Amino acid sequence: MKLDIDTFKEILDTLTRNKSRSLLTGFGVFWGLFMLLFMLGGGNGFKAMLMKNFEGFATNTTILVADRTTKPFKGFKDGRWWSLETGDVERLRLMVPELEVVSPSLSVWSSSAVREEYSYADAVVKGIDADYRKIEEPVMKYGRYLNEVDVKQERKVCVIGKRVYNELFPEGGDPCGKYIKAGAIYYQVIGVDFSASNISVNGNSQDAVLIPFPVAQKIYRRGNRVDLVAMVGKPGVKMSTLEDRIRAVIAEAHFFDPTDKPALFIIDTEQLFNMVDTLFTGVNLLIWLVGLGTILAGAIGVSNIMLVTVKERTVEIGIRRAIGATPRDILSQIMMESVALTSAAGVLGIMFTVGCLAVLEKAFPGTPFQIGFWAAVLALFLVALLGVVTGLAPASRAMAIKPVDAMLDE
Amino acid sequence: MLIDLKDINKTYNNGQPLHVLKGVTLGIEAGEFVSIMGASGSGKSTLLNILGILDNYDTGEYRLDGKLIKDLSERQGADYRNRMIGFIFQSFNLISFKTAVENVELPLFYQGVSRRKRHALAMEYLDRLGLKDWASHYPNEMSGGQKQRVAIARALITHPRIILADEPTGALDSKTSVEVMDLLAQLNREEKVTMIIVTHDPTVAEKTRRTIRIKDGIIEE
Repeated sequence: MKLDIDTFKEILDTLTRNKSRSLLTGFGVFWGLFMLLFMLGGGNGFKAMLMKNFEGFATNTTILVADRTTKPFKGFKDGRWWSLETGDVERLRLMVPELEVVSPSLSVWSSSAVREEYSYADAVVKGIDADYRKIEEPVMKYGRYLNEVDVKQERKVCVIGKRVYNELFPEGGDPCGKYIKAGAIYYQVIGVDFSASNISVNGNSQDAVLIPFPVAQKIYRRGNRVDLVAMVGKPGVKMSTLEDRIRAVIAEAHFFDPTDKPALFIIDTEQLFNMVDTLFTGVNLLIWLVGLGTILAGAIGVSNIMLVTVKERTVEIGIRRAIGATPRDILSQIMMESVALTSAAGVLGIMFTVGCLAVLEKAFPGTPFQIGFWAAVLALFLVALLGVVTGLAPASRAMAIKPVDAMLDE
Repeated sequence: MLIDLKDINKTYNNGQPLHVLKGVTLGIEAGEFVSIMGASGSGKSTLLNILGILDNYDTGEYRLDGKLIKDLSERQGADYRNRMIGFIFQSFNLISFKTAVENVELPLFYQGVSRRKRHALAMEYLDRLGLKDWASHYPNEMSGGQKQRVAIARALITHPRIILADEPTGALDSKTSVEVMDLLAQLNREEKVTMIIVTHDPTVAEKTRRTIRIKDGIIEE
C-alpha cells in the first residue's frame, strides 16, 4: 500500500469529482457526530445551569427538623409533638466532633418589612446564628453579615435579601445604618445579601430579613425552641455516616426512641446532590446511546452507499485492474476513500457542533456548553476508525472485481 | 516468438458448460500487425482476454516473451499487464471523472512513477497524437475519435510489447475508423509495437498484414 501524496491526491480527486455522491455518503456521519457532540455539550450546559441553583450552598449540609413521634418511649405515648431547642446545638457540638458548623435557625413566615411608611416588602424573618454563613454562603453587596457579637448582645440588627432590598430601597444605594420595621420592631440594616441561590431552607435568602436568633426567639415568643438545626461536616466527613449518632444524641435529650425515624426528619443535601448526579449520569448514558446509534446508522449508510457505488464503478475498477492495479491497490483506494470521507464529514460535524454550542453559550451567558478539545479529537479518531470498518464491505466487493470486467459495456 | 499459444482450452461453467476455445495453437512474432477475425460467439473475445492476462485458461500453454503465463498471482498478473500489454477497448473505457491527461497517466500511477514525471510523459504522448489542447478536457467533452486516441495514448505510455485492441473502431464512424487504423499501423511501423486487433469488420482486417480467423473456438488461418 503506497501512502504518499500521490495516492492521497488520487483519492481526493475521486471524491471531489463525484461531489453529490460524496456529500450524500458523508452526511450520515456528519449528522451522527453532530447529534452526539451537540447533545453532550447541551447536557453539560443544562447540568451546569441546574447546579447553579445550588450555588453558595454547602454540599455536605445536613438539616434536622422535629416531627411527631411514631413510637411510644419511656412512658410517653406515640404521636407526641416535640421541638428542637437552642440546647441541642451545644449538645451536637460536644457529642459529634466531626461537625464543623452547627447552626440553629427559626423562621417567621408571612412577615412584612416596612421602611418609614413609604415602602413595603413581603419577607421571611429568619433568626440565625453568626455561623449560618457557612451553610448558605452570602454574597454581601453592602455592609457585613451578622456576627457573634450581634447574637450575644441580641442586637436588633438585620441583613436583608436581594428582593427585600430592591423593594424597600428602590432608589438603590447603601442602606446600611437605616432602619426598617419588621413586625412591631425596628431593626438597623447592617448588610445586604445578593446571593441568588434558589435553595430554600425555611425561606429563600432573597426574601429574607436575617436577625440574630435569640432576638427572634424573644420577640416571637418561641422560648428556647428553634425550627431547624443545620450542620456542615468537617472536610472529608460523609454526613450519612453520622446520621445514627446525631439521631441518638437528639433522641436522648427529647425522650423519643432513637429508632423512631419519622420523629426526627433529616435532610442530607449530599443525597440530593447524588440524586442530581445520578440523574445526569443517566441522561449522559442516554445521550451516548442515541448519539452512538445515530453515528452507527450513519456509518451503515456510508457502507451501503459505497457498496452501491462500487457496483456502479465496476467498469472503472476493471479498467484500473486491466492497466495494472493490483487488488491491494484497489483495496487501499476504497478504504482510504471511506476513511477520508468519514473523517472529512467528522471534521465538518465537529465544526458545526462547536458553532452551534458557541451560539448557545452566547444565548445563556456564563453556562459552559462547549465540548472539550480532547473530546473532539477523540471523536474524530473514533470516526476515522469507523471509516475503516465501514470501508471493509465495499472494499472486499471491489477486490472481487476482475480485470475482465473492464470489457463490460458501460 | 513473442506470443506462443499451445493447445489452449477454455470452458465457461455458468450453468451449462460452454467449451469456447477448443485447442487454440497460435504464434505471433514481435512487431507483427495481426487481426483476429470471427463471428460473435466464435471465441475471439475469450482469446483476447487470455492473451491480455485478463482471464485464465484451463489447459494448454501460453508463453509471453518466453515466460509461461499460468496460475499467476494477482500481483504478477497486474504487473505483466501493466508493463507488457496495452489495451484499447471498443467503448474506449476512459475513466469519466478524469481528464484526458489523467487517464493517460493512470498506468504510470500504478507503476509508482512520480506525478510530475508521468504528467510530462502523458503530455508528450497526447502531443504526438495531436491532442495536446484537449489534455484537460473530460472524456464527455471529446468526440469518439479523440477518446480513442486518448485510449491509445494510455495504452502506449508504458512502452508495452503488445497492444491488444478489442474492436477499436466499433464505436466510430467510417472516416474516423480509417484514421484510427492508420494511426495504429503507423505506431506499428514506427514504434515496432506488436499490434493485435480483434474485429469482425473485413475493412479493418484488410489494413493488417496478417489475419487470423477463428470459428467455433478453432483457428482456421
